[in-house]
Amino acid sequence: MNKLRTKNIIGWLSLMISLGFFFLQIGYLVISRKHQVEYVDDRLFYLINIICFIFLFLALLLLIKPTKKLKLVGASILFIFIVGQIYMLISSNQIVKNTVSVSPDWKHVLSIKENMENGDVAYYRDYYRILARPKEVLPHEIKGELKIEWLADDVAAVTFETEDNTIQQFVATYGYRGDGLSYYEVGSVIHGKWQGENIELITGTEGLTVTEKGIQKLFEWDEIEQFGTLAIVLNKNNEAVWTVALNDNFEVPSDYSLPTEGNITLYKATMEDNEPIILDYGGNPELVQ
Amino acid sequence: MKYFLFTLSGIILIVLSVVSIFYYQNTKEMDLSSLAPPHTSEPPSTESKELHIVNPDDPVFYSLQDDELNISFNQGKDWTTVPVTLDELFSGEYNGNRQELIEDSYFLTENLVGFLYPEGQNLESQRVVLLYSTDQGETWEETTVKEPFPGMRFRKVDFLNEDFGYIIISGGRTMSEEGSFVFLTHDSGESWQETTNLGVTRLISNGGFVDESTGFITFETINSGKPELYVTQDAGQTWKQASLQIPEEYNEIFIQAGLPVQEEDHLSLLVNQGPYGDYQGGLVEGKFISEDNGETWEFEMEVEPNE
Repeated sequence: MNKLRTKNIIGWLSLMISLGFFFLQIGYLVISRKHQVEYVDDRLFYLINIICFIFLFLALLLLIKPTKKLKLVGASILFIFIVGQIYMLISSNQIVKNTVSVSPDWKHVLSIKENMENGDVAYYRDYYRILARPKEVLPHEIKGELKIEWLADDVAAVTFETEDNTIQQFVATYGYRGDGLSYYEVGSVIHGKWQGENIELITGTEGLTVTEKGIQKLFEWDEIEQFGTLAIVLNKNNEAVWTVALNDNFEVPSDYSLPTEGNITLYKATMEDNEPIILDYGGNPELVQ
Repeated sequence: MKYFLFTLSGIILIVLSVVSIFYYQNTKEMDLSSLAPPHTSEPPSTESKELHIVNPDDPVFYSLQDDELNISFNQGKDWTTVPVTLDELFSGEYNGNRQELIEDSYFLTENLVGFLYPEGQNLESQRVVLLYSTDQGETWEETTVKEPFPGMRFRKVDFLNEDFGYIIISGGRTMSEEGSFVFLTHDSGESWQETTNLGVTRLISNGGFVDESTGFITFETINSGKPELYVTQDAGQTWKQASLQIPEEYNEIFIQAGLPVQEEDHLSLLVNQGPYGDYQGGLVEGKFISEDNGETWEFEMEVEPNE
């Protein structure tokens, strides 16, 4: 008796879940047209369909007592449906390639979609984690994979190689470190000396100088590109060399005579595996080794 | 029960299969239309001239092909050349493209067309003129709006009806300061009267009139962090700063005022986050309402950009 009741409860629950996903999809189709939003990853549409149908199949199994023949028919339909969905999932991703990455604190989703036919690459801004709207078209055609690294909870550096064999970096930013200022230049608020292991960054009037293993390289202001209010990319010969990002603990001083608090991160533009380097403010004796 | 579940499953299966195919067909191309509205157009069906139309959605077409400005009142069948050079149209402090006319620097309707530009070789002392026609380009009149005028940056001409129009210009910019001026006409552009100067030297962002007496000027506010909107209710004789009551949680978020518009029995205003805003993706704007014709504004709600 108890077993039957449990079966019934699970059956109805499965049906509710299935209906929930079904209406989610219908709602999505309506909203996406009206508000020009898409799923952060187009493949989510097919995945939700599969989940919806699996729960529906489960509900039918538990709520009615199907004969063996009926079970076989149901399983075959489920199989065909899933194969069809997987085919469309894989095939659509070969035409518009989706790349998504979730921030370490699960609050933001970086979404980049690449049209493999015409080379258009667009960065999408997420809404409510699963929806997204195009924010910016990247000015480069991408060759190969994108390398994504979250430099802070709200800063993601995207490194890629372009069709003309240069390395470029794009930075998606989702936050703000201001304190009483409406807008600030990243280059200005990191004024001074910053140190990390075997590396030093000095921000002066001419630009930013990075000294790596004793080799000094100056990036003048016109070689520096700002993203949002959290990061800059240092370029040389039309190629990205470093990204500098303000860490979560960085506080933009309300008065520039006050000591700078927090860290910044330096991240090299390379397609090889590399770790971001955290730099300490050189003016603070407690932090400098 | 059994039949109900079978029917329900059948509907879900069929609907999901159909929408999947529909979705699959549609996601083959990325829809980036919300980012950059294309300005391309089909060539017009014309026997006389085939010109590239820049504004196919407007009632009066214009074209900048062959280094001249042509306009058409009959969907591109016949074209009239406007007696102005492209160098003049893009003169002043302007670094944008020359594929389309500078936004708001022209006015195109069937009864009145006008183009606002600075004339003269010496950028420091140009003459701001409005070239206009009230007979579909048969004859052209040129009226001087201001002279001498150095390096015109912001420019806007608009007419609210056949007689009343306004021109807002700024120029002589040094770093982030410049002079701005507002002119009104009550005779279809034949003569222009300068209104009382605001005395504000910040960079102008936009301006306009909602009726013949009520007008607004908004300034770039990237450094101050709060919207700056000025209002006149006596056709520019006096200007005062409008008071925006911004809820504390939106302080330094909604910073750049747009242009007020008439909405039922009140005025409404959208305030955006400026070019570097990050709140809710950076595109959400704050909607403000004024019940006293633009003097004080109360926050109403957040607005998605395409609402």
